[in-house]
Amino acid sequence: MPPWSDFEPFIVSGLALGGVYALSGVGLVVLYRATGVLYLAFGAVGAMGALIAWSLMQAGAPGWLSWLVCVAFAAAVTLGYGVVFGPALAARGPLIKAVATIGLTLILYGAMDLLWTTSGGEARSITLPTDNGGFSIGQIQVNWTQVIALAAGVVITAATGAFLRYTKLGTAMRAMANDREITATLGVPVRRVEAAAWLGCGVLAGVAGLLLADLVALDATTLTFLVISSLAAVLIARLRSIALAFAAAIAVGLLHDLLTPITSLTNYRDMTPFVIAAVGLLVLSRHQVLAQSREES
Amino acid sequence: MSRGIFAPSARTMVVLAAAALAVGTGAAGCSSSSSSSSSSSTSASTPPPSASSASSAPATVSTSSCGTNPGVAATGTPIALGAIATNQPGTSFTDIPNMAAAYFACVNANGGINGHPIKLYIETEQTNPAQIAADAKQLVDTDHVVGIVGNTSIIECSVDSSYWQKLGFYIIDSGIAPECYGTPNSAAVNMGPRYSSDGAVQYALSQHVSKIVFDQSNVPGTGYIAAGPSALAAAAGVPIVQLTENVPISDADSVAIKEVDDAGPNGAVVLNFTPPEALIILQAAQKLGLEDHVKLWGCSTPCNTDFLATSLGPKWNNKLFVNAELLPPDVTNTPTMNLYEAILKQYGSAVSGGIGSFSQMGFTEAEIAVHALESVTGAYTVASVNAAFKAVSNFSTGMLCQLWSYGSSPTHIPNNEDSTVTPDNGKMVTAQGCTLISAVDPQIAAYRSAAGTAALEPAS
Amino acid sequence: MRADRTQLIRWGVVAALVLFVLFGFPAFLSLYYVDAMTQVAIYSMVALALGILVGRVGLVSLGQVAVLAIGAWVAARLLFATTQPYPLVLLEAGLITMVAGTLIGLPALRLRGLYLALITLMLAGAITVVLATVNFPNGGHGFLGYNGGLIHIPPIRRPSVAAGDPAYFRYSVIVAVLMFLLVLAHIRTRPGRAWAAIRQSEPAALAAGINTWLYKLWAFALASFITGVAGGVLAGAVHYLYSIGFPTQDSITLLAVVLMGGAYSLWGAVVAALLYQFLPALLNNWGVSADWLIILFGLGVVQVLTTAPAGLADQVPRDLARLGRLLMRLRGDTG
Repeated sequence: MPPWSDFEPFIVSGLALGGVYALSGVGLVVLYRATGVLYLAFGAVGAMGALIAWSLMQAGAPGWLSWLVCVAFAAAVTLGYGVVFGPALAARGPLIKAVATIGLTLILYGAMDLLWTTSGGEARSITLPTDNGGFSIGQIQVNWTQVIALAAGVVITAATGAFLRYTKLGTAMRAMANDREITATLGVPVRRVEAAAWLGCGVLAGVAGLLLADLVALDATTLTFLVISSLAAVLIARLRSIALAFAAAIAVGLLHDLLTPITSLTNYRDMTPFVIAAVGLLVLSRHQVLAQSREES
Repeated sequence: MSRGIFAPSARTMVVLAAAALAVGTGAAGCSSSSSSSSSSSTSASTPPPSASSASSAPATVSTSSCGTNPGVAATGTPIALGAIATNQPGTSFTDIPNMAAAYFACVNANGGINGHPIKLYIETEQTNPAQIAADAKQLVDTDHVVGIVGNTSIIECSVDSSYWQKLGFYIIDSGIAPECYGTPNSAAVNMGPRYSSDGAVQYALSQHVSKIVFDQSNVPGTGYIAAGPSALAAAAGVPIVQLTENVPISDADSVAIKEVDDAGPNGAVVLNFTPPEALIILQAAQKLGLEDHVKLWGCSTPCNTDFLATSLGPKWNNKLFVNAELLPPDVTNTPTMNLYEAILKQYGSAVSGGIGSFSQMGFTEAEIAVHALESVTGAYTVASVNAAFKAVSNFSTGMLCQLWSYGSSPTHIPNNEDSTVTPDNGKMVTAQGCTLISAVDPQIAAYRSAAGTAALEPAS
Repeated sequence: MRADRTQLIRWGVVAALVLFVLFGFPAFLSLYYVDAMTQVAIYSMVALALGILVGRVGLVSLGQVAVLAIGAWVAARLLFATTQPYPLVLLEAGLITMVAGTLIGLPALRLRGLYLALITLMLAGAITVVLATVNFPNGGHGFLGYNGGLIHIPPIRRPSVAAGDPAYFRYSVIVAVLMFLLVLAHIRTRPGRAWAAIRQSEPAALAAGINTWLYKLWAFALASFITGVAGGVLAGAVHYLYSIGFPTQDSITLLAVVLMGGAYSLWGAVVAALLYQFLPALLNNWGVSADWLIILFGLGVVQVLTTAPAGLADQVPRDLARLGRLLMRLRGDTG
């Protein structure tokens, strides 16, 4: 085992990676709480928004406008999907609804590779102005973008948690996610609430997409399938607790990076989210059968 | 419950139509020739070709010198050649055969090969062995190609080498897999990951670093690639740490920290990745403030693009040293280099990467093929064409440090001399001129002894 | 009496179709398409396995490609390390994959619905990472059989009777037919009825005295066995196996095509395999990017889930029938 000092820099980078996982993990749980859908296209939508922003910046558009377009695009696609297919699938269980978002993921993924072709020697990257400033912890420099990502995770966790619990709109969203039919009979304007939920989630996906494109890589495959690793945090939180999802994401990121200096395990460290999710889920389910409320197809 | 956006019958119609087309195509499969599938998609959002064309070449260089009969279009029976290139999200080598096709287009417009135009059939693949084997059969059985020029694929050499050997094809390629260099039937214009990494490690060793960390992407062949740097480091008495990373990389920070930690302040980190992966590792190192924590950084030849130099910024000037297996276009003002740039401009609309090592490789392979084909007398058959390829000897390509030869040796590493470049404010400039790859690498030694002095001949 | 005759006719048609595929295809298809159809045969088995889980029992697995990789790995190891005859290797690959799949699936059976789907995705992700590090056997020594420094990788052998591509195509089709018959046998007997009951309503099935846990496990075991055998056939088809050939996202695409083809019907598995392996080969030949297919699959998934859950295999005959009735009506109007 390497000495403790070897692990120190990885604590910092692990927290940053945890922030990355938290962004999508928390986003997914928030979406699930608000709409009842595990929005697996979260990464793809953000990735495409980021690529659009990149194209705009290449064409000379100012940074802030490109970011705005990114978020607007993600919001529009998510809202469109939710409004068109939400009602159609509302009576189906969470599994079917999640699989349907896989369809959206594939559509976006194919479109991204068509529109932004992989060209021989070129690599795309997005740098945000907050990349340049920062501070040092030990040997390692932390830049503001990483801090923002982590802070965004905290803020989203706290704000949406409070929103869903204490506001009328939030309560209506939770009710709808649970049972759309009954909520409608209670006089809640389901279509408007649904639209609001999807719109908010789309904005979240756009912001996350931009941050992740900066922090991880501006690559369609990487960003689209990053959600798979973030699902670990989502599963441990059992799709319910936003705060738990955040904490789990941080823990997964930390553990992943802390395994790096251990030579015998370093090549397997990419397994960390999957193993944690599997073990966690099995431990949580040992006394009961885990299922959602209405899972029939 | 509302209906979906399609009526079911619409979907059925699409499927039936596709099935009908498929049956029709399949039945006619034997006799029809597939269209040359060069990818011509240039997305609106791809930036213009890298702005490295600051060479002082006059813009009015005529391309007609590519052919033997300037201005006369070739109208005879076509000579069919084939190429297989990887084209999947994240990795695309189609620029290389596309540039070869551009060269052939130029030749076809200027006399062809004794009046015969060349038709290049390009098959793309997504690193699927079944598909790659099928692509080879398509080229041979359906397209009836007589030669293979321009193959660039992560695993094609491994999958098809026994097939080419059985049929008597001597392919000219840009190699990646071990078999591209270790079999009699393949000769590459580039150095491939192992010898290019050798070059980068060799440079680091020449700067008297105390330790080497060699990190590469976990794609097929890592053991083969690592053996070269290991041998070089061992001979120099310098410890070497071998690492691999799963790609695509999602946690570049931990990768950069690990590399720097292992190398130490007087060590070198040498990378062997595709440009996007190398870029995010180097950018992560810079964001973490680690780029000066090692003596120098090295990279195998994929990093040799002006695009990388621009993306990295000035902190990497004289800090990152990249192996260059081809002569840099910016500082080489020769007729051949000018011809390359002119052909790229006039015929290379499908080459999305512009000026750079990919299109240079395509140019060189096509150049060699045309040179060989011009020596063929009589019919252009598999036997005659491949005999001509094999007979290429001491050819001056104008793109390499050395003269290029095919020959009859059991292995082929005809490009085994490189230079080293470093970023300089957005451009790659030479840090060290043409240097032979050290024969401490046993494969290099074996090739040089089998190929004779031809292997050492520097370009005139 | 009439029912028996319809059955006989149906069997006859299927048999004729199989014979045509076995002997007609290699005769008039180019080698490129013979190779593509070999892949179709292999993946029809994988789609069949996934169809059992998704269509018959109602368990969504997002990790079938990882199971295929395990089967291919075991087969490759055995083929390099031993000189056993090919059918024996296939059987062993199937059995070992079955054991592995069942062991992995065992604890997961406590989960339902979305949780089960997600945990299969997690397990598949884990297996993919392990595979990237241990690699596929390539003739080396030791348990893993991988030698990273090889300059000439030896090809995985094929059965001596099926060395050439057309012969291997026939071999793959025969193995696929056997797997389909195996599944048919299950469906027609008690497991099939138990699965139907579980799919309808698991609590009701439990109340009726069906050992749901056992039958779900049985489905997992059967699906893993079939996928393992498919992996063995794949190993011989491609000669060279690489971990990059089994990415996690392929499992997602596989689910998409199985849904499109129809998870419930056996023909749906063939349709799924055609979508997954034949269409890409066709488009590649035409120079059309495979990305269009990915988009098509995405649209297909959404379409299936919103309108026609039984997929194309169910939809096409219905649409054809509808078309037939429409034509009849038109003829009646004008006649």
